[in-house]
Formats: sequence, structure tokens, C-alpha cells
Amino acid sequence: MVDLLKRLLRTPQGATGLILITLVFIVVAFGPWLAPRDPEAMSILARYKGPSMTFLLGTDQYGRDILSRLLIGARATVITAVVATLAGTLAGALIGTVSAYLGGRADEMIMRTIDAIMSIPNLLFALLIVNLLGSGSVNALVAVAVAFAPGMARITRSVALSIRKQDYVSAAIARGESSSYIILREMLPNVIAPIVVETTIRISFAVMLFATLSFLGLGAQPPATEWGLMISEARQYMHISAGILIWPSLAIAIVAVGFNLLGDGLRDALNPRTGG
Amino acid sequence: MSPHYLIKRLLMIVYTLFVVSLVVFAITQVLPADAAVMMLGENATAQALDALRQQMGLNDPVWMQYLHWLTGILHGDFGQSLRTGQPVGPVLFEALGRSLLLACLSIGLMLVLAIPLGVIAAMRRGRLTDMLVSLVSYAGVSLPEFVTATVAVLVVSDWLKWLPATGYVPLTENFHDGLAHLALPVCVISIILIAHVSRMVRSELVDVLHTDYIRAARLKGLSGSRVLFGHALRNALLPTITVVALDVGYLLGGIIVVEEIFAIPGIGRQLIVAIQTRDLPSIQAGVLLMAATYSIVNFAADLLYAWLDKRIQYG
Amino acid sequence: MSEPAQNSVLQIRNYSLDYLTVNGVFHALRNIDLEIAAGEILGLVGESGSGKTSLAWSIMRYLPDNAREVGGAIRLRGEDLAAKSPAEVGRMRGKQISMVFQDPGTSLNPTLSLGTQLTEALRRHRGLTKRQAWGEGEAMLARVGLKNPTQMMQRMPHEASGGEKQRVVIATAFACNPQCIIFDEPTTALDVITSRQILDLFLDLQAETGVASLYISHDLALLSRTAKRVAVMRRGEIVEQGTIDDIFRAPRQDYTRELLSAVPQPAKRLVETRPSYQAKPLMEVENVSVHYGRKPFLSALTGRAFKRFTGNRAISLTVQPGEILGIVGESGSGKSTLAKAMTGLNPFEGRMTFAGRTIAGLADMDRSYRKDVQLIFQHPDASLNPRQKIHEILARPLKLYGAGDGGSLSHRIGDLLEQVRLPRTHADRYPHQLSGGEKQRVAIARAFASKPKLVICDEITSALDVSVQASIVQLLLELHRKHGTAFLFITHDLNLVRQIAHRIAVMYRGDLVEVAPSDEIASPDRADYTRQLIAAVPALAGTSF
Repeated sequence: MVDLLKRLLRTPQGATGLILITLVFIVVAFGPWLAPRDPEAMSILARYKGPSMTFLLGTDQYGRDILSRLLIGARATVITAVVATLAGTLAGALIGTVSAYLGGRADEMIMRTIDAIMSIPNLLFALLIVNLLGSGSVNALVAVAVAFAPGMARITRSVALSIRKQDYVSAAIARGESSSYIILREMLPNVIAPIVVETTIRISFAVMLFATLSFLGLGAQPPATEWGLMISEARQYMHISAGILIWPSLAIAIVAVGFNLLGDGLRDALNPRTGG
Repeated sequence: MSPHYLIKRLLMIVYTLFVVSLVVFAITQVLPADAAVMMLGENATAQALDALRQQMGLNDPVWMQYLHWLTGILHGDFGQSLRTGQPVGPVLFEALGRSLLLACLSIGLMLVLAIPLGVIAAMRRGRLTDMLVSLVSYAGVSLPEFVTATVAVLVVSDWLKWLPATGYVPLTENFHDGLAHLALPVCVISIILIAHVSRMVRSELVDVLHTDYIRAARLKGLSGSRVLFGHALRNALLPTITVVALDVGYLLGGIIVVEEIFAIPGIGRQLIVAIQTRDLPSIQAGVLLMAATYSIVNFAADLLYAWLDKRIQYG
Repeated sequence: MSEPAQNSVLQIRNYSLDYLTVNGVFHALRNIDLEIAAGEILGLVGESGSGKTSLAWSIMRYLPDNAREVGGAIRLRGEDLAAKSPAEVGRMRGKQISMVFQDPGTSLNPTLSLGTQLTEALRRHRGLTKRQAWGEGEAMLARVGLKNPTQMMQRMPHEASGGEKQRVVIATAFACNPQCIIFDEPTTALDVITSRQILDLFLDLQAETGVASLYISHDLALLSRTAKRVAVMRRGEIVEQGTIDDIFRAPRQDYTRELLSAVPQPAKRLVETRPSYQAKPLMEVENVSVHYGRKPFLSALTGRAFKRFTGNRAISLTVQPGEILGIVGESGSGKSTLAKAMTGLNPFEGRMTFAGRTIAGLADMDRSYRKDVQLIFQHPDASLNPRQKIHEILARPLKLYGAGDGGSLSHRIGDLLEQVRLPRTHADRYPHQLSGGEKQRVAIARAFASKPKLVICDEITSALDVSVQASIVQLLLELHRKHGTAFLFITHDLNLVRQIAHRIAVMYRGDLVEVAPSDEIASPDRADYTRQLIAAVPALAGTSF
């Protein structure tokens, strides 16, 4: 693990990504304690204020401290995105690996069906599922997970197939190794690395997708402090105080860029040939 | 390219639409325990619920409902909107037309900007220009459309007052005004596309510039521009076609948000309204139309690719 | 600095080149002294890392950004190339110096026709119009021995064979009548017979035009038949330089001697054992066929004909206990396909009998079969799992087949490593920390862990340098003597297989042409194809067939 971190820090992407995401996780873990003020505390007199010593990033339309709301809101946005991506990856990876293992016609059928489902744009698919389940954070989480599963299935399958073609897998088959040994000990360690890279990058998409759902009123519901929701609510008041809009936008951007960079960094760090 | 390939691809489109129809029908009509309750709410009267069930044919077995709907579609009848009572088809097709205009303008803008940006970044690899383009790309890909759109409205419409914020004016009515209303939405959609495609062009071109055949071309003494345009660029741009086609799926998603924010009456907006009002026939038809558009665009891209790259054996 | 001789075309004096890398300064070339006169062929031989490619790039002025020329000069007809501006260099390339590359598959642009790639050089350097250039191009293609030059001009690279493509590349290099041409391993990526044809073409053209040629190769035998003078490179320096006679008969440097002794020579027999042909065969292959391809999904609907691709067609051969059977053939002959069928990686039709047991399919290949029949692959990078340490890779066969002898697992792994002449401490390393030769030794150790009766070697030395190849072959023969293992040695190197095999099987496009004892392989009684193959392989000058 320590080794991995050292390798990550060697590339600029890896280093920046690691730093950003570490910051994000600190905020997620310790948000409530880091927040200087009560995020729910409204104050008519303190509305639309710009940055000051008391309100580091200013206040919103109800006089609430934006910084505190952002710190609390990190949980809603980031945790949902991470869990949704992991769930989608697991489901997708299972389907993809099985399809690659089966090969032949079964593989072809499964993949064509996956391709067909993927002709529905991610956002639209998520919207449909939320429509089915009803609005709310948990349902939006499920929607994002289901929307991501087909894409991850396709990626897992293609990685699994390329690994399957390698000589060391053929060597294992020629030795007469059991299928479970081949899948678990020969293929999986080499499959996991690209999947981890892809998953990390997907988290940034999940963050954006979830924020979009909340923005459209179908994800987190008020008075939750989710960043997308904050932006949606800010639209009416943004000409009075741009900060209400800018800060949550920046927060989303930082998290998305962070996961993107981390994914790129992991790609190099996890490659046994270049990382070592 | 053989007839075998063409038939195979067309059948694939048919299969895709079939699967999509199943999925959307299942999610909207079959899975909800009681679609009528879903639509009218828990407190609706028994008669209202019954009337609705009768009207929607919900008392029939599931497969019959599906077949009924499917045959309707194959005859061009997309059903009637539960919200307006009007036939769904014509409204959606008109809306689709407007969305396609938006999409085409965005793709046009993207091609004009992304390709030169990608080329410049590849040529000046590792230097300041490349880093800047890279930075802008990362930023573009990391901002959801609704953020870019909202910020754009704030800056361009509210502060600078250069362009109108929302609304739509058909180009046929007033070209100048129509364009002004379309400018901001097109730019917002393009940003993400430009970020993505320029990155792709850069990475493809960098790869191509390192190949043996480019080295051989340089060592033949060919001029720099001949190597770049006659050899490198044409090979690097080919995969870009595939990427742009795949991005159309992403574009369609983005259009939904952008039309919502800028109040453009395209198919995205129709879908949002339909979803919010639980207008099942509109939802079903809308999703199918979007999937069909995506499939056709990809098919066209495949044809274009095959025509340009004779290597690929499409058998 | 001595004055260049009257007809000296290329002159390199005291030239040194460094690369600036993250790990410090790397001295790629040191004090290189070379001269090529008009009409002369200078051979340049060296193993990987010797700097021969860097030298070629330096001459063509194609150096990466981190290259630093530290001293010396490269002169073409007296002109110092370092003094030229980039524009002048651009005009010089292709016109005064041109280059022929190793792999015609990658050195031609896959999306442009062959004619376009040939004529663009003509139009650029000789100022011809499109029509003139096209006509000239056709004439050149005819000159390099291509039938249907008009058609060939229109073809795309993927529609031409390796040999045809290389002819086009050679035509392009000669097209503008340059003073000097650099040939960088031009036949390495081609089949034996095609190589010979290309070599003959080159000699023909060179004699006709009198162009000064620098012929780079790792194949000493080939160079001995091609060049008049040879320079031997090692680690950026020229170790020895002289005429073919001098170098080959009386090498002065140790390294040159080493290289020469590593070159496979059919006359030098390396194996003394003689298997018994009266005993029952260890492995018997009867009418084994392997087919590829699946019916396309919609063939029923669209009525498309279905052609199966045949990898092996009714192959029958035997291997005696303790015998080394060589299998030779060009790429696509089906040698690897057969190896994979014998180890259960390809489904096959037909029958095999191993040590008396019938093997009719994958199901019959049980654990004891697998223990006794082992396979070693060509590319050591791909055959060792990059995420497993060496001790894990070697522990596996020991665990699977239970080696029986006492001692702990790690001790036995150490023994295996020693057996292949690797230090015991290598067990703790990852594959990427080992060299190509070392990785291949690990693969051999892995194969011998189960004390097999038959080891199938699928081109195991093709990806290695000549000297490394020699040491690997030596190791194999040692193990053969010690354990009496039978080998199925698949290779395209005829000279090598004649040194080590008892019998040789010749394959061509999926068929088995014939099997003959190695001392009779060159006799005129052999099949046509076999004789063609033998004739095409260059043997070291001064040696007989």
C-alpha cells in the first residue's frame, strides 16, 4: 500500500489527484466538525453576504454559511457517488466476467443486449429509474448504479478477454490448472488494476450525474445540503449574489477533477512494468 | 463492405430498438405495481383509478399491453399524451427536429474548435500550450452541463448582457434572433464535446506521430506539412469519427439538461415534462426516439469509417 | 582527422553520442570510426543495446530531443552533416541518403496506397508531376521484380504480402538514386524464402547502381554472404572491423569470437545422444487436424458461404523417448497450432497416443499427461504472470504435480533456479526485473519442475539475441543429457535445428511435408519445398552445407 502511494506521487496527475481526494475524504469524514458554523442556521440579516471573516465564503439566500453547507454537503454528494459507482462496477464486473468466460454465442448475445441498453443515454436511464422508484437520494443512488452497470460490464469483458489471450493464461491452462485457479490467481490480479482505474474515473461522472439529478429535483430533496441541489436553489438568487452559485460549482469541479486525475495516476502506478 | 455486413447492422438496430422498447415499457408500465396509482396519486377515487386503468388498458395481461403498444408504434401511432390528450408522435418529432438543430450546431462548433486544438496540443507536446489545453480539457470534462449552463447564463446574460438567457425563436421566423437564443445553449453543449474530442485528437495524433510509418515518411525527406496532413492527421482523425459517434449518446443526455435550463422546446424538454407529469406514452415514445437517433448516428458513423478506411474487413 | 579517400561516400570519424535520461547520462555511441566507399557494402553487426540503431539515426540526423552529440563528425561526400540546417537535412533525406526499415508492415502508412507512398518521394525530390511519377513508379516496381506493377501501385499495404511490401520499400529507397542507403535488418521480419529473394534483389540493385550501403543485421551468417567488410559493435563501441575473411577466419577480439561461436552452424553438431527407433514411440500423432472459425451469426439468413480456416491438416508424426524432433516451417505453417493442440490449448480432430495411452481430446489430458508434457512459449514477457514473483511462478508446478523429493518448497525452488543457472535470490523478484534471457530460463525451470518426459519448445529462442540464444540452447541440451527428456523443438532457424535435432519435420501451410533425419535434410532426395528452404538459408561464409 505504501508502495502504491509512493508510485502515485511520482506522476503529476497521481500526486495532484491523491492530494485533492485526500482533502475530499477528510472533508467527508470530518465535515460536521470542520464546519465553522451551523449549516442550518438562518439569519435574515445576513443574507447574500460576500466572503468575510465570519462567513468565509459568504452566505446564501437564507443567510446560511455557504462554507459550512459545502462541508456538510460533501457527504451527500461524494458518498453517494462512490457507493453508486462501486455498486454499478460490481454488478457490471460480474456480468462482464461471466460473459467473457462463457464466450461464443452466449457472450455475443449478452454483449449485444448490453450495447442495446447503452443506446439510452446515462442521464435518461437514471431519470427513468428515479421516475420508477420515486425521488430521493437513495433512489438516485440506485439509479446511478444501474445506469453505470452496462458500461462497466462492457469494459470488464474487454479487459478479461485481453487477459485471457495472454501466454501466461495459456501456460496455466496447459498445466491443467482448474478454472477457479486460473480466474482467481492468474486473471483477476491483472484484471483488477484496469478496473480500479476505470472505476475511479467513473466516480467523477457519478458525482456529476448525481448532482444533475438533484438539480432536476429528482435526487436529494430539500432541505438536504447536496451540492447540485444548492445550485438549483441558487438559480433564482444568483444575480444578487454570485457566490451562492460559484462555490458549489467549484466544489463539484474539484471533486470531479480530483477523481479524474487520481484515475490517471493510478493507471501508471498500478502497471507493474512502469510503476515498479 | 458486403451486403452481409449491412444486413447484420440493420438487424442490430432493430434488435436494439426492441430491447429498448422492452426496457422502457418495463420501467414505466410494468414494474410500478399500479401505474394508475402512480399517476393519479394515493388519494384518487376508485372510479378515477378504474377509468384510467380502462383507458390505459392496464387490466390486460402484460404481454398484451406490450404488443398493443408495439403494433401501434409500428403503424406510426405513438399513442396519446396523458397530459394534453394530443397524439404524441407529431409533437415529439417536431421537438426532435429542434433538438437535432441544436445537436448539429454543437457538433459543428466542436469540429471547428476541437480538431485544431488537439493538433496544436499534440504538436507542442509537453510545452505550455499543451498543458493549457490539457487543463481546459480536464475542466471541461469535470463540469456538469447544468453548472456550465447556469454560470454561462450568469456571466453572459446577467452580467455582460450579450445574449438572451432563455427562450427559443425558430430560425425560420427571425434568423438573427433565433441564432442569438441558440448561441448560449450550443456553446454550453460544445464545451464538453470540445474538451473530450480535443483530448482524443491529441492522444491519437501523438500516438500516430510515434509510429514507424511516420518516421519512415520523415526519413524519406517529405516536407513537414506533407507528413502532418498527408499522413499523420488523416490516420489520427479516423478513430475520432467513432468517438464522436459514441459521444452523441452523451450529447443527447446533455441536451436534456440544457433544454431544461434554456427553455428550448426540444425533445429533452418534452421528456422532462413527461417524466415529471408521468405521461407514460410520451416517455415511452421519447426514449425510443432518442435510442433510435443514437443507433442511426452510430450506423452512419460505421459506414463513413468503413468507406474511409479500406483496411477494415467488414465481412 | 584524415582526409576522406577519393571515392569515400560516408565517413564517420571519432563520433560519440549521449542520451540524457532521468537516470543520468547514457553513452550510446563512443568514438565510432567508419567509412563506406562507393559501390561498397559495409555490414554492421551487434546485439540489442549495441547502438547500431542509434548510429543509423545519427547518420540520418533523426535524433530525439535528449540526444547530445559529444564529438566527432559524420561526413557525406565530404560535407559535415552536423552543419546542415533542418531544411537541408529534409532535402537530403530520401535524395542523398535513404533508409530501408525492418518491418514493411509498420513502415508503410496503412491508409495510403503503395503507389502514393512511392511517388511522393519522387515528386518531392525529383520534381516530377503526378503522371510522370506514377509512370516512373511502375517502372521501378517492375525493376524490383513485382509482377503486375500497375496493379501493385493501386494496392493498399494490407493487400500485399511482406515480401511485396519490402520490395516497394526498397524501390522507394533506390528511387531517387541516393549516394548511400542504410538497410536496417531488412529481412528480419520476413520468412526464410522471401528473405533470400529480397537479399538477392538487394545485391542485384546494389551491384547495378553502385550505391554505398550500410547493412545492419544481427545475423552474422547472412552478413558473411552479403558484405565485404564488417564492423562488430558492442555497447556503443566498434569492437572490431575488417574484411569478412579477417573477421571470420581470424577474429582478434574475444567478443567477436564469442559471437562467431554462437552462430548456429549445421556442421557443428551439438548433440551426441542417439534415440532408439526400435522402441515404442513416446508420442504418436495420428491424422491430427485443427480448424478455426465459427459460422457467422446470420449466415443462414444471408446465405453467406462459410469457409473454415485450417491450421493443421491431418498431421502424423512420432517422437521417440529421449529424441529431439525439430519442426521447421515459415509463419502460418501450423507449427504453433500443433504444439497448442498437443497441450490442450486447441481442440483437434484425430488421435494422439502418449506412453501407450490414447488421447482423443481435451478430456483425456489428465494430470499425469500434463505432468509429462510441458510447453514453453516464445515470448518470456508474456508467458510469466507479471504480478507473480518468481517463487510463486515456480511453486505452482511443484504443488500441482508434487515433486516427490524431500526438502521444503523454497529449497526446491532454489534448486530449480540453480538448475537453469540462475541465482537462488531471483526467487524473490518480479519478471520485469529480469532480462529476456533470464525470463526464458525461468520458463524452462518451470517446465522442468515436473520432470516431464516431453518438452515442447515453441520458438523459444526467436525473440532473443544470438549469444543469449546459444546459452539457452546449451542449457536445454544439458537438461536433455541429464534427464533424457524428449523435445519437440519448433523453430524457423534451420541452421540451429540441424545442430541439435535428431530428426526434422518440415511443415508448410498446415501440411506436414516430410520428416527426415537431420544429417539427411540437405540431401537432394528431399521434397521440393525442403530443398527450397535449405537453399534459402545463409550459412556462415567459409562453412559448407
